[in-house]
Amino acid sequence: MPVRVGRIAVILLAATGVGLAWNALSGQGLALTRNAYVRAGDEEITAKEARARLDKGILFLDARPVAFYEMSHIPGALPLPEDDFDKHFAKLEPRLRSSFDIVVYCSGFGCEASHLVARKLKERGIPAVVLSEGWPAWTEAGYPTREGAQP
Amino acid sequence: MRWLRHPALYWVVSIGLGAVFIYASLDKIAHPLDFARIVYRYRLAGPSAALGVVPANAFAVVLPWLEAVVGVLLVTGLWRREAAAIAAALLVMFLIAVGYVMWQGIDVEHCGCFTVGGEGRGAGWTLIASDLGLLAASLYVLLVRPRTVASASAAEPVPAA
Repeated sequence: MPVRVGRIAVILLAATGVGLAWNALSGQGLALTRNAYVRAGDEEITAKEARARLDKGILFLDARPVAFYEMSHIPGALPLPEDDFDKHFAKLEPRLRSSFDIVVYCSGFGCEASHLVARKLKERGIPAVVLSEGWPAWTEAGYPTREGAQP
Repeated sequence: MRWLRHPALYWVVSIGLGAVFIYASLDKIAHPLDFARIVYRYRLAGPSAALGVVPANAFAVVLPWLEAVVGVLLVTGLWRREAAAIAAALLVMFLIAVGYVMWQGIDVEHCGCFTVGGEGRGAGWTLIASDLGLLAASLYVLLVRPRTVASASAAEPVPAA
């Protein structure tokens, strides 16, 4: 009884069909073309777009823990770590409220902090976008970074 | 190695393998978002990942159902060899994924093997070993031809036809 390729194709198609149908009907469907950290209402920009914004003087926020910020960050970015949001937000609030098009980033894959910080800012009436894939996207593009606690 | 072709062994391995796949699919189907997060952490699916064209979410939506269908087929015996072939391919894919994160030093924290919530085991050598065990079971179901019940009692084994 040889393995029939046609049957394998049927199994793969059936599983794909049921999976997509379940995703559409289960009430907890995901946006298929995105990653799990992106929710409806989130706005992401590419590293290239972020670079252009940085050159225009747009405010960048680093959502990673402060220790990461001090190791290396995007020049001019201010630390607004997700794990210590309230304290840093209180300090930065006047600056944030007078800024437009804020860009938030964190460590990319496996890091949800930038999305969480951007949402917290939005809840407080401050629009912010997320740098897609965060720090790795920035450094892999060869864009400038800065070490130390100073922005 | 005549015992390998014993129908009871073949039956037990098929159903056991199928049950593992069904069990592995349930929590992922129930909690798609949690599973999608885990898939994303492997850095293999997603926009700037190794397999950049496959969105992590689409993969996370389809994979558990493929596991479930393969599991049901293995348990029921319908299209068993085809299901075993897919199971083997999936396990090879899992082994590559686990090998990749171990090689890259990526901490996935939770392998997303059977459950997606709470504390999970990470990627490591024990995971590689259990995947290899399941892969061996899949290849067994795929390749070994069990003796038919009638021929099991015959003195001469039936030549593989």
